[in-house]
Amino acid sequence: MTADSYATAAGLVERSAAAYAAGVPERPADDGFFGPASVTWRISADLAGPVAGLRALLMQALHPLAMAGVDQHSDWREDPVGRLAATSAYVTTVSFGERAAAEQAAARVRRIHEHVRGIDPVTGHQYAAGDPALLLWVHVALVESAIAARQALGTPLTPADADRYVAEMVVAAELVGVPAAMVPASAAELAAYIASVRPGLRCTPAARESMAYLLDPPGLDPDIAEIWQDVRDAAIATLPDWAREMYGYRAPAALTPDRRTEIRQALGVLDAVFLSEPGVLKARQRIALRVRTARPA
Amino acid sequence: MKRLLAWVTIGGASTALVLALLRRRLGRLRTRRGLAALGLAARGGARYAASAPRLFAAAGENRERLRHDLALRTAEDVADTLGAMKGVLMKIGQMASYVDDGLAPAVRRTLSRLQDSVPPMSPELAASVVEEELGVPPERAFASWDPEPIAAASIGQVHRAITLDGRAVAVKVQYPGIAETIAADLGNVALLRRMLRITAPAQDVDALLAELRDRVIEELDYRREAGNQRLMAAYYHGHPTIAIPAVIGELSTRRMITSELSGGARFAELARWPQEERDLAAETIYRFVFRSLYEVHAFNGDPHPGNYLFHGGGKVTFLDFGLVKHFTPAELRPLMMMARNLCVERDPEAFRRSLEDAGFLRPGAPLDTQTIVEHLAVFYDTIREPGPLTITGDYASSVVRRFFDVRSPVAGYVSVPRSYVILQRINLGLFAVLGELTATANWRAIAEEIWPFVQGPPSTPMGEAEAEWRAGRPATASLA
Repeated sequence: MTADSYATAAGLVERSAAAYAAGVPERPADDGFFGPASVTWRISADLAGPVAGLRALLMQALHPLAMAGVDQHSDWREDPVGRLAATSAYVTTVSFGERAAAEQAAARVRRIHEHVRGIDPVTGHQYAAGDPALLLWVHVALVESAIAARQALGTPLTPADADRYVAEMVVAAELVGVPAAMVPASAAELAAYIASVRPGLRCTPAARESMAYLLDPPGLDPDIAEIWQDVRDAAIATLPDWAREMYGYRAPAALTPDRRTEIRQALGVLDAVFLSEPGVLKARQRIALRVRTARPA
Repeated sequence: MKRLLAWVTIGGASTALVLALLRRRLGRLRTRRGLAALGLAARGGARYAASAPRLFAAAGENRERLRHDLALRTAEDVADTLGAMKGVLMKIGQMASYVDDGLAPAVRRTLSRLQDSVPPMSPELAASVVEEELGVPPERAFASWDPEPIAAASIGQVHRAITLDGRAVAVKVQYPGIAETIAADLGNVALLRRMLRITAPAQDVDALLAELRDRVIEELDYRREAGNQRLMAAYYHGHPTIAIPAVIGELSTRRMITSELSGGARFAELARWPQEERDLAAETIYRFVFRSLYEVHAFNGDPHPGNYLFHGGGKVTFLDFGLVKHFTPAELRPLMMMARNLCVERDPEAFRRSLEDAGFLRPGAPLDTQTIVEHLAVFYDTIREPGPLTITGDYASSVVRRFFDVRSPVAGYVSVPRSYVILQRINLGLFAVLGELTATANWRAIAEEIWPFVQGPPSTPMGEAEAEWRAGRPATASLA
């Protein structure tokens, strides 16, 4: 963010909110790939969402080839808003859109990935964004972060719901081109997969630079930066120790009950901001209504 | 999940959006960034205006479905909806709308109704609160209990019922757990202070925050509200045009208030009544506000249109005493002196001194007194000169715009002391209501009747009736 971080921020909130409002159909032809009975829908409005998102980026960036692809092909430096807004729209469509809409969005992402190829300057290895191994890491980092953030700061998932959630998310990986057989379908498989990938993970200069930007966006008012710090600390606190050590971040204060409450209060403020955007509350209500209908209390 | 990343990245900055809604003073903003944030806030506010009243009500035909299907069924639902600062934001947004300067009237009204975006409790959840409070379920505590709420209330909802001895009553029931949640969130003073500091002048933030916290915490305990309502009902007992529903003490607790059910027309209906009726209703509202202030030493900080019921002939029932500010004589005296010195004594220098005594104006400000009068006497426009005057819809906002004008030469020297924060609502709430009624009256003459330092003769038929009522009151009835 260069010229006016507030204008940039406003653009991102507006575009993410617009994508969310538009991505939750009013009269859907089908329930999409997850549907109102899914754990995915039920936990979608959890306050811990932003922490899950930030933590997922921190995890994803530790894969040198995935990071190199983003670094060499993405325009995140020039247009961070456009980059994140596009991702935002994609995830909303896949999560809540009709099947046809989700498939169309996924096909577009696969087409873009075809052109993302190169050589990682750190490892010297060739990479291709369409490589299922890279896509799988990105997928797993997201799924595992969603669970970890909710366990620490949101409404924790029961072990059975966590397994169901991991299994539900397999289709999201398939959509971008990972064969289902490769994708972890339970919490245990998820953990085993992460352990198997871990030796290849590292914090490259590109990861350090992009994550430093996310964790400390330049130009924030000091008071706002202090609020942001709660979210950042939460994301770092929920990282596995080894991931935190790769970045060299100091461990933030422990998530005591008081600290957890403070962070949730900051997250509540963020949620209120998002809800105040046009169409967001109604979209949430559309989801909540369908979830309730599918799961009578 | 990644959509969350989007606002994660800028979440910190965007927080300014909500926070900026809490701003008080354009003139004190220090940075260009701050002003940009206000621009965001204005846009965000306009959106609130466009969407918030319909947030829960949705689009008409959906309303009943939403009401049932999205109703809060458990205390956990309440916590999910109003916990983690969201309930506090709504309350502070509502309060800030009483003291805020630059928001359009529609936005202020909408902010004060943000609570309407919260779904109602399910009949079972509301009944469980009543049972916890009274020890018996509502069907046994009352002869008849309507499980469907008739109105949203501040952090609760209103049910109709008939008491065992046959009185029709309105029962306000609080959301379970909300008091504890809001009290805990108000404990995060650091976050609240940051939110206010982003847009409010540093030297005023602590006073503003302390006042807002005190008022919100008071509102959480319905027993205090019941006490305020009893106080007002006792004072206005027998008044010719002002009615306050009686509180049924044995059916009122920390989380529920039972009071007499009142009929009458809502504000929206009054707007269609003849101008003569509207003028009479406005006169009653005006008398109520200033009689309460000068004689009960109390000010109902929530004079919004939903809190009135109209009966014709100027008779008005006043509801909802959750946000009543009580003044000590020492707090009230400077206010009286300001009005007296400006409007009665017509002494600019004395007016200036009383502004300084009250804490509104920094002593020794390098401004000539004429300039000060020009800018700070705007609140007294309706009462400086006698004669009939029509209050228009633009009046309240124009007063506020002039008072808080960034370019005003007095901008750097005025502030609102803590005790008077809620009093701003007179200008933003009362005059907005009178403006919506395009009410005409000789406000000065009515003010002279009420001013303790003038005690003028009755100036209208309503004034005559009120004087008779006052004459018939026992001397000890005055709570002053």
